[in-house]
Amino acid sequence: MTFRQFAFNNVKRNARQYLSYFFSCMFSVAVFFIYAVIMFHPAIENYDFRATVQSGITAAEVVIFVFSFLFVLYSTGTFIKSRKKEYGILMTLGISKRQLNRLLILENTIIGLVSIIAGMVIGIIFANIFIMGFSSLLGLEDSLGFHISWKALVLTFVCYFIMFELNSLLVVSTLRINSIVHLFQGAKAPKKTPKFSWILAMIGLLLVIAAYYLAWTATMMSIAAKMFPILALIIPGTYLLYTQFSVLFIHLLKKKKRLFFAKTNLLTISELSYKLKDHARLLFFVTILSAVAFTASGVIYGTYQGAEEEATANSPQDISFSSQGTDNMEQADIEIKQVTTALEKEGIDYQSLSVNMTEVLLTVDNWKRPVSLLAYSDFQSLLDLNKEEKTDELDPDEAMLLAFPFEIEFSETFDGEVTFQSENHTETLQTKTIPSIINYNLYVSNTVVVSDQIYEQFASVAEPSEHIRYVALSVDDWLANAKYINEHVEKVDTDIVYSSDKASDYLLLRNTLAYALFFGMFISILFFLAAGSILYFKLYQDLDKDIRQYQALYRIGLTVSEMKKIATKQLAYLFFIPFVLAVIHASFAFKTLQNMLQASVLLPSIMLISCYLLVYTIYFFFIRRLYIRKIQQVM
Amino acid sequence: MSVLEATNISKVYGSKRGIEQKAIDHISLSIEKGEFVGVMGPSGSGKTTLLNVLSTIDRLSAGSLMINGTEITKLSKDKLAKFRRREMGFIFQDFNLLDTLTIGENIMLPLTLDGWKVNEMEAKLAQVSKQLGIDTILPNRSFEVSGGQMQRAAIARAIIHEPAIIFADEPTGNLDSKSSKQVMEALATLNNQKEATTLMVTHDPFAASFCERILFIKDGKIFNQLDKGDNRQTFFQDILNVQSMLGGDTDDFQTVRV
Repeated sequence: MTFRQFAFNNVKRNARQYLSYFFSCMFSVAVFFIYAVIMFHPAIENYDFRATVQSGITAAEVVIFVFSFLFVLYSTGTFIKSRKKEYGILMTLGISKRQLNRLLILENTIIGLVSIIAGMVIGIIFANIFIMGFSSLLGLEDSLGFHISWKALVLTFVCYFIMFELNSLLVVSTLRINSIVHLFQGAKAPKKTPKFSWILAMIGLLLVIAAYYLAWTATMMSIAAKMFPILALIIPGTYLLYTQFSVLFIHLLKKKKRLFFAKTNLLTISELSYKLKDHARLLFFVTILSAVAFTASGVIYGTYQGAEEEATANSPQDISFSSQGTDNMEQADIEIKQVTTALEKEGIDYQSLSVNMTEVLLTVDNWKRPVSLLAYSDFQSLLDLNKEEKTDELDPDEAMLLAFPFEIEFSETFDGEVTFQSENHTETLQTKTIPSIINYNLYVSNTVVVSDQIYEQFASVAEPSEHIRYVALSVDDWLANAKYINEHVEKVDTDIVYSSDKASDYLLLRNTLAYALFFGMFISILFFLAAGSILYFKLYQDLDKDIRQYQALYRIGLTVSEMKKIATKQLAYLFFIPFVLAVIHASFAFKTLQNMLQASVLLPSIMLISCYLLVYTIYFFFIRRLYIRKIQQVM
Repeated sequence: MSVLEATNISKVYGSKRGIEQKAIDHISLSIEKGEFVGVMGPSGSGKTTLLNVLSTIDRLSAGSLMINGTEITKLSKDKLAKFRRREMGFIFQDFNLLDTLTIGENIMLPLTLDGWKVNEMEAKLAQVSKQLGIDTILPNRSFEVSGGQMQRAAIARAIIHEPAIIFADEPTGNLDSKSSKQVMEALATLNNQKEATTLMVTHDPFAASFCERILFIKDGKIFNQLDKGDNRQTFFQDILNVQSMLGGDTDDFQTVRV
């Protein structure tokens, strides 16, 4: 056996321990590689979206790489530090520090190389599916074509190889060995009774509650300011929950003697208190990783699913045209005709309605803004066109400001006495804000509904340039024809008529989110896998100790089915406490998202979390089987 | 010529603030080439600590230690590693075989670390394993063989590089009486035929009776010394006598047999 064979044997025969770590690394390499394949795809050069796509991919690549770096650093660190006794044995056999370093780096290089190569092979196998998916995402007729650029191969290999080497160097150089006897003792150092502080436990709880409160109350206006404080509260809060609050909680459980001494509870609870404390940092990482995975994928998926409702809220009418100035109107009719002809040609049914408006200047305190006035009766016809219920009669001294979802909070601050002023007429009306039912319009940002009588007073004396014509189209089944509608509406000359359509909003939202989905989902899955891998490794590390404990318990009369019950409970706590906490964290993030969106994210987020739960539960049962089978061997 | 020469060695445990505890208190001893020396004493007497500091597993607090003419306390970490690799062999109570390696690979390990050629390693392995009667289990992994076989493999690993001195810490501590006998006979034979210098810590009078000389330690000091006469049976009886004189509580010396 040569030195190299020695290192190789160490890796090969410890393969089970490295298994999930290896899979996570492999997955990360594969995702990184596939993105690189798309980034360096020669066909992409010809498209004008190249810059956007490439900056998106580059960002995703950076996130994956930085995350992999930290994950590998953490895993390598734990692997290397868990084998202290082995180093003790090797030192007595006369291994020098330099040889030990060489051994560890050699082992890590083997694991690294195998993960890189396996990851790239998986990447090559799945690259074509991804290229096809990506092409349809970009709305291309044909696929970009299967092509693996050598640049992608080199980039992935070089980046990851350097990462593995750098990480093992970092870990090895921080491995300090004072005397061999410490290495032997370190392995059997007795565990201290977990301690906690009431104050820290309560601070942890308070931090998390404060973060939840901020997330619950965040809105479109305040999210930018609240984002950082929420993170700054939730991360240390979660950490304290695990290191302090969990120990406190178990301490209280132990005090309930009737519960604590009931059958196997004694074993489950007392062992769990050590495990929770021991694993506090690990569970903290798992929680944060899963929470990020749930939140990111939930937000993206939720918005993606809600794109239709979101588009409807922003553009209540399927298609709208507005033109300003009387001399413009004739020209505008010709432009609009083009669109309606196109719709008729495709056999798409539609109803259209044309209303007149006039431009006025809205004044509240010192704040001015041009708006268009709409007569109450026309407003009712538009409601009818949108298939919405009519509203109550408007008094002559009242007005309704139609506001879009993103500005509604802001507009509400103007409710009350508002002055409307045109070149030749002025009125002061009692104004309140309601959600808009008409589309955004370039000339005047908002529309104000006034009684027919007031409207007439403004319209009769309006200057020709103050006249606005608004044409609304209600298209049957716009969703199915979104692309076609958008194509033709975009042909309209914007110098003459301003067009707006629900389809373009919808398509824009859908496309942007499709990118986000494409980049975000894999990163989320990567985070989730890493969390699972960390758990697996930790359990594997504890296995020897647990086996010895169950062996001892077996001798004093613990049955196999009792062992199964205890082991399942303990594993379930370790697996599902972080999961549940991560879901709660993510739910508050979803609530924040909900505050900003019109569409409900409840259903998509429940669906998504259920998927994660399903995968996680399967993983849990898989691990449980391995774990119990190992213990059963000694019983 | 003495292989190991310790002069006035001490080992002190305890922090700067706390109470200091002298585990080894100014001990001097010397071991001649080819000797088989046993160290006995009650629990907590410092016998394992003595072995650890003599074998460079633990650091000395004071004193000088020469092995094969080299002053150990003055060696750098790297030199010390090389010194261990070539001049020392270790046998532990819990065998300390690496479970990622086969029995054969475990035995070869010291030569691997020293960069031997593969065919030379294999020749040496064949010779040593035959001598200890474990040549049939070389391809097995450590968890597939019995305790006695594991300990004999550990002995093979300790002697394969023909070290100047072998340190054994309770080599029979985890073995049943039959395996204990086999292991002790193997050690004694090695000592007789190959003149392998051996220092063994034990609390098992039976195992100790294979030694030529026994040092009794109490409270970190050498309390008594016994030499084997012509008869192992009388030697065994002498050991028991010193033990009862030392501690009064003879139970403390009985081997726990699982």
